[in-house]
Amino acid sequence: MSVMLTKFESKSNRVKGLAFHPTQPLLAAALHNGSVQLWNYRMGVLVDRFEEHEGPVRGVAIHPSRALLVTGGDDYKIKVWDIRPQNRRCLFTLHGHLDYLRTVQFHHEMPWIISASDDQTIRIWNSTSRQCIAILTGHSHYVMSAQFHPKDDLVVSASMDQTVRVWDISGLRKGSPNQSGPSGGGSAAGPGNFETYDNFSSVKYVLEGHDRGVNYATFHPTLPLIISAADDRVIKIWRMSETKAWEVDSCRGHFNNVSTAVFHPKHELIVSCGEDKTVRVWDLTKRTAIQTFRREQDRFWVLASHPNLNLFAAGHDSGLIVFKLERERPAFSVHQNTLYYIRDKYVRSYDFDSGADVGLLSVRKFGSPYIPPRTLSFNPAEKSTLITISSDNGLYEIAGLPQQVQGEVKDSSVDGKRGNGQSAIFVARNRFAVLNKTTQIIEVRDLSNSVVKTIKPPVQTNEIFYGGTASLILSSPTSVVLYDIQQQKVIAEINSPPVKYIVWSGDGALVALMSKHTITVANKTFSQHSLVHETIRIKSGAWDDAGVFIYSTLNHVKYCLAQGDHGVICTLDNPVYLTRVKGKTIHCLDRSARPRTITFDPTEYRFKLALLRNNYEEMLYIIKTSNLLGQSIIAYLQQKGFPEIALHFVQDTNTRFELALECGNLDVAMETAKTIDRVDCWNRLAQQALKQGNHKIVEKCYQQTKNFDKLSFLYLATGSTEKLSKMQKIANARGDPMSRFHNALYAGDVEARIAVLRDVGLHPLAYLTAKTNGLNDLALEILEAAGLSEADVDDVPKFPVSSLKPPPIITTTTPLNWPSVQAGENFFDRALVNGVLEGGTEASYGNGDAGAAGASSALDAWARDEEVHEEIDPEEGGWELDADGGDFETEQAPDAAPAEDEELGAGATPGASEVEHWVRNSPLAVDHVAAGSFDTAMQLLNRQLGITNFAALKPLFLSIYRSSHTYLSPVASLPPLQLHVRRNPEESAPSRVLPIAACPLQSLRSELTEGYRAVSGNKLAEAQGIFKSVLHALLLVVLASDDEAKQWRETVTAAREYLVGVSIELERRRIVEQEPDNVRRNLELAAYFTHCQLQPPHMQIALRSAIGVFAKANNNVHAAKFARRLLDLKPDPKIVAQARQRIAAGDRNPTNAIDIAYDDFTPFEICAATYTPIYKGSPSVHCPYTNATFLSEFKGKLDPLVGLTEIGAPASGLPAAW
Amino acid sequence: MDSSELYHVKQQFVLGAYTSLVKSPLPDPNSPDYHLALLYQARAYIALNDTTSALNLIPDGTDNVALKAAASLAQYIAAKDDTSGEAALEELRDLAVEIEGDDVQGTERDKELVRVLAGTAFARAGEIEEALESLGTETEDLEAVAVIVQIYLSINRPDLAKKEFDRAKRWAEDDLLLQLIESSIGLVTGKDNYSNTLSFYTEQIGNPSLTSPHLLTARGVTRILRNEIPEARSDLEESLGQQPQDAESLAAFTVAAGLGAGKRSEAADAWSKFETEHPSHPLVIDVTNKAALFDEAVTKFTVPPAIGAH
Repeated sequence: MSVMLTKFESKSNRVKGLAFHPTQPLLAAALHNGSVQLWNYRMGVLVDRFEEHEGPVRGVAIHPSRALLVTGGDDYKIKVWDIRPQNRRCLFTLHGHLDYLRTVQFHHEMPWIISASDDQTIRIWNSTSRQCIAILTGHSHYVMSAQFHPKDDLVVSASMDQTVRVWDISGLRKGSPNQSGPSGGGSAAGPGNFETYDNFSSVKYVLEGHDRGVNYATFHPTLPLIISAADDRVIKIWRMSETKAWEVDSCRGHFNNVSTAVFHPKHELIVSCGEDKTVRVWDLTKRTAIQTFRREQDRFWVLASHPNLNLFAAGHDSGLIVFKLERERPAFSVHQNTLYYIRDKYVRSYDFDSGADVGLLSVRKFGSPYIPPRTLSFNPAEKSTLITISSDNGLYEIAGLPQQVQGEVKDSSVDGKRGNGQSAIFVARNRFAVLNKTTQIIEVRDLSNSVVKTIKPPVQTNEIFYGGTASLILSSPTSVVLYDIQQQKVIAEINSPPVKYIVWSGDGALVALMSKHTITVANKTFSQHSLVHETIRIKSGAWDDAGVFIYSTLNHVKYCLAQGDHGVICTLDNPVYLTRVKGKTIHCLDRSARPRTITFDPTEYRFKLALLRNNYEEMLYIIKTSNLLGQSIIAYLQQKGFPEIALHFVQDTNTRFELALECGNLDVAMETAKTIDRVDCWNRLAQQALKQGNHKIVEKCYQQTKNFDKLSFLYLATGSTEKLSKMQKIANARGDPMSRFHNALYAGDVEARIAVLRDVGLHPLAYLTAKTNGLNDLALEILEAAGLSEADVDDVPKFPVSSLKPPPIITTTTPLNWPSVQAGENFFDRALVNGVLEGGTEASYGNGDAGAAGASSALDAWARDEEVHEEIDPEEGGWELDADGGDFETEQAPDAAPAEDEELGAGATPGASEVEHWVRNSPLAVDHVAAGSFDTAMQLLNRQLGITNFAALKPLFLSIYRSSHTYLSPVASLPPLQLHVRRNPEESAPSRVLPIAACPLQSLRSELTEGYRAVSGNKLAEAQGIFKSVLHALLLVVLASDDEAKQWRETVTAAREYLVGVSIELERRRIVEQEPDNVRRNLELAAYFTHCQLQPPHMQIALRSAIGVFAKANNNVHAAKFARRLLDLKPDPKIVAQARQRIAAGDRNPTNAIDIAYDDFTPFEICAATYTPIYKGSPSVHCPYTNATFLSEFKGKLDPLVGLTEIGAPASGLPAAW
Repeated sequence: MDSSELYHVKQQFVLGAYTSLVKSPLPDPNSPDYHLALLYQARAYIALNDTTSALNLIPDGTDNVALKAAASLAQYIAAKDDTSGEAALEELRDLAVEIEGDDVQGTERDKELVRVLAGTAFARAGEIEEALESLGTETEDLEAVAVIVQIYLSINRPDLAKKEFDRAKRWAEDDLLLQLIESSIGLVTGKDNYSNTLSFYTEQIGNPSLTSPHLLTARGVTRILRNEIPEARSDLEESLGQQPQDAESLAAFTVAAGLGAGKRSEAADAWSKFETEHPSHPLVIDVTNKAALFDEAVTKFTVPPAIGAH
């Protein structure tokens, strides 16, 4: 087992030097045979070779920001190369060293190159001036390596003299005469004289401790640490301060010379390689060996780390390898809108919409600390995760996620359950499957981690995945198997290279099976599938909302349609792991497991998808809104057999013509042919039109090409005698006897025929023709003309008069075109004709499939929710609800069924039904109604709201009751179970369950709004019914809070006021109709109506109606008053004008013609029975429910308004049930 | 272990896919599966209340106890009057006694099935005690457990149902039927917001090897219980799309209609349609009883005189 993941390997001569490109996937390798190779390790191709060195090359480096390569060889030369493919060449060579070069390196910001040589010196060169600017002397043996510090002006070197030295080169930066920018031209350099160099550089520390020559030393990228690798088989770690440096520790384990040791760029690790044929990984803090990777034959000579990725390269006797130390694919799982993933050993959740990213659970103590978890499976029902890790021969752990995160996140070791296995996934809400690869056993376990089932997979299984309900997908080396857990049998098998990851589509209908180079898209039963092959390694994938699979390779994001079409969406610099695709956004995790998004243009694949699904609306929409459709799409359409659609995108006339012919669109073909106007075009068009029977177009083509013969024949065929005669004339004009003859023949015109024959001198034929057609005079004339007489032609046999004639025309096809091959009137034609394409009218556009029929009602409900909004809040405060419910006390519910320990069996006695609990748990009448306990419900209503007349409530009672119970038979033939719908489904304790609120307050309020609408629409009788029914239903509403209770009271009051108002107005209309003389009552009622608490729009109606009635009756003062009140409501300007007039009229003529009982100076209530005012201070009684006012004489009577209560009866008000 | 064909038949039966079950062809009469598949099909007909087809399917004069029991159950359900019903029950009682004897035509499985069918009939007849007695307390047949559990649930004893389920869990492998039993208990107790039941039905709806509108109805009912009315309606509409006359789905739909954001009149329409089309559905019978109860309760209150009627 190894965590070393080899990414690339090459065979070559011994590799002595290696260098990564900082941004591109390039690696330079210096070979013992003098060649320098440049590899693209991602694609696995040799990009370039640099072969100018003589003898082995050991040192190689790539410039951190420019396309430069530096090499140093055994020919004592340092060469700098341009590595851009188009101008690859050696830029210059630096001479000066007197022995082999060991290492070379660019400075990170200065134009410097440092080199280490067997001549015991280190030299620093200015690459601009190409001069040596410093020679560091002091080592007393070969200098094996020399490196700049990544930030400071320091150099570290390693030598065969068993020392590591740190040099201070800050003087070089300040005082260097050669320091000049790249543009400086480098001419400032004086003649190189070595003596001066020592001024700039000095040995800062000499680190002694190795017992043999030191091969390599390097700085830590951020910490003041140095590691060195030596022939004493030890790696030493050194620490520096400002003033000194000392040995910290050693790593022992290599059993031969250590060639190189480097720091891991991201983790606290050291990676080393040596001549003992191993690459080793060490823990930097503990200095313990973690991993050893062994090679059978090859000694390792060099190791390089990528400057910012988890990537290493090692050179050995017969080539090089590029490897990673750990998988970078983060473990993740997507559930609905949330991504669960692991970063730095923490399970985190990421909300795709809000971008909220929180840590939920630590998995630090799970498996090896150096290895990130491999997979994560999420169980939404239990909100738990199942994580696997490859350390310790494969482990899994199941741990719950906290409901809410506050403070410190817990560690999974607290309550997690673990076991051994290489692959583990949830297969159901309370089951998971674990694969043990070595024993080839899949165990199905429950959440307490005990085995409930053991499966022996039918194929060699390397990985298992979720396969839909009760199914697993097994990945074997040659196939994937859909396996039914319950039946323990194979449902289907698809041949495929080893599948590494799978992704289910959002609706679970399709699954993408990804292996290294193939993607198989299958449906959920594996009965249909299609395959996509990729040359570049496939990394990840996700389904978009429209059912398109989007996947990433090492360097691309691509799409793949279910039928197998695929294409590129965008290119990638670094691999990403797609998690979710939503609209134009790809969500993904990068290599360090950070969530990222990529915005892309899905038009192309949406279009193709729409094409496949024949969704023309969407296609049209895409055509209208995007400009992406180029040549490729046209070719695609044509290739897929949709030339008629392609036609709509093509501008180029020639292509248009071709396409039009292909799809038989003659109109377009005609149009384009006119533009092109070439003979061959017309001919082809004629041919096609002939095939389709469109002889008019054929005619035009023939005309265009002046194809008279064919034209004539066409006219003959279509029976167009008129045109034929025209052709005859044309033929005459052209003087073409053959054509004339044809036409004459076609037209059945014997005389013309004879004339032609005569004209061309074929007299005998002319004569015979005339003769056989009975034209004897003409025949004679011909004879005469020929100078002959009848006698001369005696020997000519006599023919009877010919009866041959051109066939008669039975149907005149001239004006008719034969039914065409295809009407050609498709969606696009229509759209194009209508000019929609130009963006005229709006095409209804649904993204993806229009919602499935099943979902419609959910949508409808949603739409209704949108509609129902409070139009105006009734401003009236209403009287306060007796919120604490006062004297009503429920009997304390006796404890639910005593905790008996009864045996199972026949003796079981029935328990308390849910409805009994409901009755016990609630003091609300509606809950008793839902429980079917109508008598107690009535008692409650009587006590709380004084209701006595229940008859009208029967439908309401029954509908609430039947909405609170539902039935289901899980077992065949047994009577169905009666199930009781709760309004608090989160509760299951019998002492707290309550029935569903069948008639929520909100829906009644919207019903009330409907009543308002009826008022505005002058449907008063209807409105009266609505208000009454609302008041009925409000009796049986569940109230959950003080706020709702307040709303309830407001609603009751509003409904009551409107009911009174509407009743008054109806009464007034009755009077107008039935007692037209009773003007007084008419006026009174109109006035009272304006005193009901109505909302401003309705109040305006009431006032305007009153103004009209009063003005008509010449009660000008009152009318003016109403008009003033109307103005206060700020009506429309038009109404304002009318009101002003009315006020003016009142001022001019301040009298009231009719005296009425209406004192608008004293506040009054209106008796809801008699519609008369009850002025403030006069005795009155109220309805215990609606609080409507009545004259006191009506006490004890049935409330006439709603017809439910006894007027003036005592009532306790609604109890607070919350 | 059953063959996979038989397994599929059983799965369809357990998950209520009766219609597709009766439509699928029976295996070859010589196949070892034939007998059991025939029984499942007969029982599916009975579950669909198509007792005539069930009786046609069962060969006349069979000696097999299970087949005889199935025939009796069908006769009981088909019975128009008490006497013929009682006769059928009597037959079942005889069979229940007969299987205790030694010389019986049928396997152990057949015997268990006799108990299950007899128990079903007794439970339908309201003879709870007799039903539980014939099913026994020590049964290791999951179908029997399912019947027992539902009986307990119907008499509001979810505690006993849970006990029976726990007992079965010990010996039954992770069977589909066991999961169904668990989900039925969940329907009644409402534990954890019915989540177990909901995920069970959701999982089964996603099961690639069968489709059953019954599952959609069941999920719809579960969603009603979870107060997810629009979702429930959507499920039920889908189910009704596949079986427009299914009483169970229609009943649930009327409930969902009554609870949804829709108009009250719409719910009333749905109800009156259901009431006329399925007068014998327990919901209709129950509501009719309640209507009578209402009329009775109303009389306890005296309506005060109306104004004007002095």
